[in-house]
Amino acid sequence: MFHWLEKNPFFFSVGVFIVIAFAGIIEILPNFAEASRPVKGLKPYTVLQLAGKEVYKKDNCLSCHSQMIRPFKSETDRYGQYSLSGEYAYDRPFLWGSKRTGPDLHRVGNYRTTDWHENHMWDPKSVVPDSIMPAYKHHFTNIADIETAYAEAVTVKTVFNTPYDVEGGTKLGTWEEAQKMALEEAKLVTADMKNKDVKDAVESGNIPEIVALIAYLNRLK
Amino acid sequence: MQSNAAFEYDYSIAKLFTYTTILFGILGMIIGTLIAAQLAFPELNYMFGEYGTFSRLRPVHTTVVIFGFTLSGVFATFYYVAQRVLKVSMAESNLLMTVGKIHFWLYFVGALLATVSLVLGFSQGKEYAQYEWPIDIVIVIVWLLWGVSIFGLIGIRREKSLYISLWYYIACFIGIAMLYLFNNMAVPTALVSGYGNIMHSVSMYSGTNDALVQWWWGHNAVAFVFTVPIIAIIYYFLPKESGQAIYSYKLSLLSFWGLMFVYLWAGSHHLLYSPVPDWMQTMGSIFSIVLILPSWGSAINMLLTMKGEWNQLTDNPLIKFMVLASTFYMLSTLEGPIQAIKSVNAIAHFTDWIPGHVHDGTLGWVAFTIMAGIFHMTPRMFKREIYSKSLMETQFWLQTLAVVLYFTSMWIAGITQGMMWRAVDEYGNLMYSFIDTVTVLHPYYAIRALSGVLYLSGFLIFAYNIYKTITSSKRLTEEPQFKTPMA
Amino acid sequence: MNGLMIKALAFAAVLIIATLAVVNSMNIDLSDSINMITMIGAIAIAVLTAGVSVKYINQMKTDTASGELAEENWDGIGEYKNELPSGWAFSFLGTMIWGLWYWFIGYPLNAFSQIGQYNEEVLEYNAKFDSVYKNADEATLQAMGESLFLVKCAPCHGETGDGLSGKAHDFTTRMSKDQVLYVIANGSDQLGYPMGAMPAGMASGDDAEAIATFIAGGMKGEAPVAFAACTSCHGEDGKGMGGMAPNIAEYDDLIISKILEHGKKGKLGSMPAFKTMLTPVQIKSLSAYIKTLK
Ligand code: HEC
Ligand code: HEC
Ligand code: HEC
Ligand code: HEM
Ligand code: HEM
Ligand SMILES: [Ca+2]
Ligand SMILES: [Ca+2]
Ligand SMILES: [Cu+2]
Repeated sequence: MFHWLEKNPFFFSVGVFIVIAFAGIIEILPNFAEASRPVKGLKPYTVLQLAGKEVYKKDNCLSCHSQMIRPFKSETDRYGQYSLSGEYAYDRPFLWGSKRTGPDLHRVGNYRTTDWHENHMWDPKSVVPDSIMPAYKHHFTNIADIETAYAEAVTVKTVFNTPYDVEGGTKLGTWEEAQKMALEEAKLVTADMKNKDVKDAVESGNIPEIVALIAYLNRLK
Repeated sequence: MQSNAAFEYDYSIAKLFTYTTILFGILGMIIGTLIAAQLAFPELNYMFGEYGTFSRLRPVHTTVVIFGFTLSGVFATFYYVAQRVLKVSMAESNLLMTVGKIHFWLYFVGALLATVSLVLGFSQGKEYAQYEWPIDIVIVIVWLLWGVSIFGLIGIRREKSLYISLWYYIACFIGIAMLYLFNNMAVPTALVSGYGNIMHSVSMYSGTNDALVQWWWGHNAVAFVFTVPIIAIIYYFLPKESGQAIYSYKLSLLSFWGLMFVYLWAGSHHLLYSPVPDWMQTMGSIFSIVLILPSWGSAINMLLTMKGEWNQLTDNPLIKFMVLASTFYMLSTLEGPIQAIKSVNAIAHFTDWIPGHVHDGTLGWVAFTIMAGIFHMTPRMFKREIYSKSLMETQFWLQTLAVVLYFTSMWIAGITQGMMWRAVDEYGNLMYSFIDTVTVLHPYYAIRALSGVLYLSGFLIFAYNIYKTITSSKRLTEEPQFKTPMA
Repeated sequence: MNGLMIKALAFAAVLIIATLAVVNSMNIDLSDSINMITMIGAIAIAVLTAGVSVKYINQMKTDTASGELAEENWDGIGEYKNELPSGWAFSFLGTMIWGLWYWFIGYPLNAFSQIGQYNEEVLEYNAKFDSVYKNADEATLQAMGESLFLVKCAPCHGETGDGLSGKAHDFTTRMSKDQVLYVIANGSDQLGYPMGAMPAGMASGDDAEAIATFIAGGMKGEAPVAFAACTSCHGEDGKGMGGMAPNIAEYDDLIISKILEHGKKGKLGSMPAFKTMLTPVQIKSLSAYIKTLK
């Protein structure tokens, strides 16, 4: 039979396809319905937070940081409650990471604050003298792409029914409204920051990447 | 048996892919060495402004070595091997020649675009699939073109039954086609909303589902890029170079179908102790253990093929490369399954032991095999003998030392780090702050950077040797049947 | 055993010994089951790979290739019809049987729960350290607090607790002049003392300066007259009238636990609340440690 397959490339290929596709179906499908349910009280990201998530992806923080706390005493002591599936329901893509060159960040919003992040992202060694994390000074001058973040929110709302604009949830609104809300949220962040250029930029209506990133990091709880 | 001389095979496409294998190899390894050095000496992050940080460059490294170096090597050997084991020449079909050329050029452009887009910061964020949707489309087309080449050549073959290498090339084609498509499903946001950057998209899956699809792909990218086509390569070049017959058809057969069946189930070993359901994790662990045997089957088949040929192992550096590659393949396919045991993964996951495991496979197995393939092909494609055997020897020992340094340092670093994260003091509190677990790694990161320099030097010697072979080595009048001639 | 095998196994042994030595130098407890299984796994990887691959490589020295050749031949490559190596075949069968056993009998579908395992781990942990906590004397608490401080607080307050040049609170003095001035000017309402909020503007100008200098100096010597504005809540001695308001003269357990519970935003920045992240004993120990920092 195998000799026969080796002489019939078509059936050989079909055979290979069936053998490999089969596992996928069993591994992937059963979980789909269940795992996308959000935990109670979980709200979709605000536009500013989404813009921050984009910075996190762009500069690929996930190459050093995980966002997935495993159920071990040592991890819950260090980072807090182990992670639950439903907490990630609005994460597209998931950002669990596969390497911890730096610590897990899934709940970093619980134990770090805006001013600390400001110091740390500008120069990690200023707060953790032996840190090997790069400084991200360019986040303080690059302007965050709020429009693309808005586009993402609109897309997940339309295509995946992510619950924006519902009672007690995250408001999205029109592009003009969204811009205004993002700016207000940004001002709340800069109130706790010291960098003059960043504060000035936000005053004049531009949101530097660092502000969006911190909004995102503070939301990780 | 028909003599090979009866055929003039057309190697033009194989040659083009050989050049890109070397080009991307150098580029990818320079970046690998740089990011390795950045972890030991963080000041190196600031050489190219925002484009030079570890985090921007890490996916560039993986992209260039996987989709640049490794895939070029796979394509180069494919266009060489397939003609020969099917006994047809590319030149016999204008269509196939054209497809081959488009395949190459589109691939080359696609690979450059993917690399540049990551440097610029466009990223979907999923490992080994970061490229945004327009680039994904190019990649899919490139892949389909390769499919046309594979099945086109098979369609006009003279050799009725498919040689083992072709089984593996076909599996590579089908596996990647299926997995890549599923994992990269995304919705371009500008098209839906009318706002924002046209490059940006959002994943079709969210959270845990996305993780499952990602590692179904991620694990099998390893299977179908770093394992399956590399087995295809060694199954041709080892017996061909040594003149030995394959040790056992049965072993080839069982290893192949075993590997195909088992590999796909093991993906969830990347998600152990995550929020994916327990049963799925257990499944990943079990299948990972079972996977040892079909993996070792191919390696053992290669080693047994060389049975009684100790003299070749000592005389011919090309054989040395492939025997060592088989051994490193055995190392990574035992190490992987053991890291997939839940209790071991509790330590290993997230640590440097994983990059250690990765490079046992990629440096010791993938790159060694591809370089051996190129050493074998070049004299036949360019009709010149290899420029220097002693350079090959030097390269072999430099790179072997490099792999050993890489894996011993990351092995120790990873196990230490994993255990330090868990350690509690006599009062039951965490014994080490996170930064403590980073500073202890400094010497190992430095050793790994050194290993990168050694491996890269070896690769540059390789590139030089091939360059000299192509341009100025002694001409061959006749194609050697087995052993590659070298000066 | 020939030379090659001995070298390979020696390499494996050196690697394992080096790993053990490094791990040991970090005071790792190898009797922890996860650590132990990992070490056994590492040994298995090193020894099996070295042993088995060298076994086959040795055959290159001794055996000769033989067997019946298949009729087919590709580009000069032949194929023997040899049987499967029996060690390989039996191991493959063995892992498959083991897999089936594991799947259907050993740990069928939902027989294992990682959360269940976690809960057990926590119970075991509590049982183990209960006694340490119960009998903790001041010295133990201080030592415990120090190690906690280094893990949890040092990223902001620095390893010595000096606040990293003004980025966070400096524990070597009770409060800096700037911090006091900030509270006087802005008031404070975040710590949950029985007295409730402290109003803004209790003093100003030179008075505020004088008060702040006095408090930052450790409340030594004669209190400035203006300090009377504060005594109704914080007491003559600044100790907070038995917990009605914060002790501003020195650290006490109350102020530290309040701050850990509520967090604090002040002149220097924000301090996160640690309410669910620390146990009562841990809070006590942190307070014991911080009191030693002055
Ligand atoms: C080269 C690896 C590396 C990269 C890349 C990296 N980090 Fe880090 N990160 C570290 C290390 C190591 C630490 C621990 C030492 C420290 O706090 O600086 C850390 C710590 C942190 C912390 C503090 C978490 C805690 O619990 O103390 C945050 C927040 C953080 N990083 C965010 C980021 C963000 C955001 C990015 C991307 C823009 C990023 N990191 C990129 C290595 C990295
Ligand atoms: C009406 C009562 C009242 C008066 C009068 C008062 N305080 Fe307070 N003070 C408080 C309370 C209550 C708090 C805790 C506030 C909180 O919960 O944030 C506090 C907090 C403080 C703190 C912060 C302690 C810390 O460690 O964060 C300082 C410093 C302080 N007071 C100084 C003063 C000084 C100086 C004066 C006089 C100019 C003064 N207080 C007058 C009630 C008072
Ligand atoms: C994210 C940074 C951060 C972390 C982590 C942190 N702190 Fe703080 N902490 C601060 C800052 C900033 C202040 C100063 C607030 C101010 O007065 O402006 C502060 C103030 C304090 C104070 C107040 C002193 C006073 O009387 O007002 C205490 C006590 C304290 N921290 C204890 C701790 C302990 C104990 C830990 C660890 C469990 C800890 N902190 C972790 C940032 C941090
Ligand atoms: C029997 C075969 C193998 C098994 C069961 C296996 C298992 C594993 C496991 C358990 C991990 C770690 C997951 C984690 O905890 O993060 C891993 C990671 C990895 N392995 Fe293997 N491995 C095998 C063979 C190979 C081979 C031959 C290669 C070739 C290079 C390879 C490349 C990788 C890569 C690239 C990763 C990193 C994935 C990531 O980005 O996190 N593996 N493997
Ligand atoms: C000069 C040689 C090389 C050096 C010094 C090197 C170095 C590195 C470094 C430092 C990392 C990041 C590890 C981390 O985040 O901790 C990495 C990741 C990686 N490298 Fe290399 N590399 C080299 C060659 C290669 C080659 C040739 C390949 C493939 C053929 C490869 C494949 C990978 C992969 C797949 C990863 C990601 C692993 C993961 O996510 O776990 N590398 N490399
Ligand atoms: Ca990875
Ligand atoms: Ca993609
Ligand atoms: Cu895998």
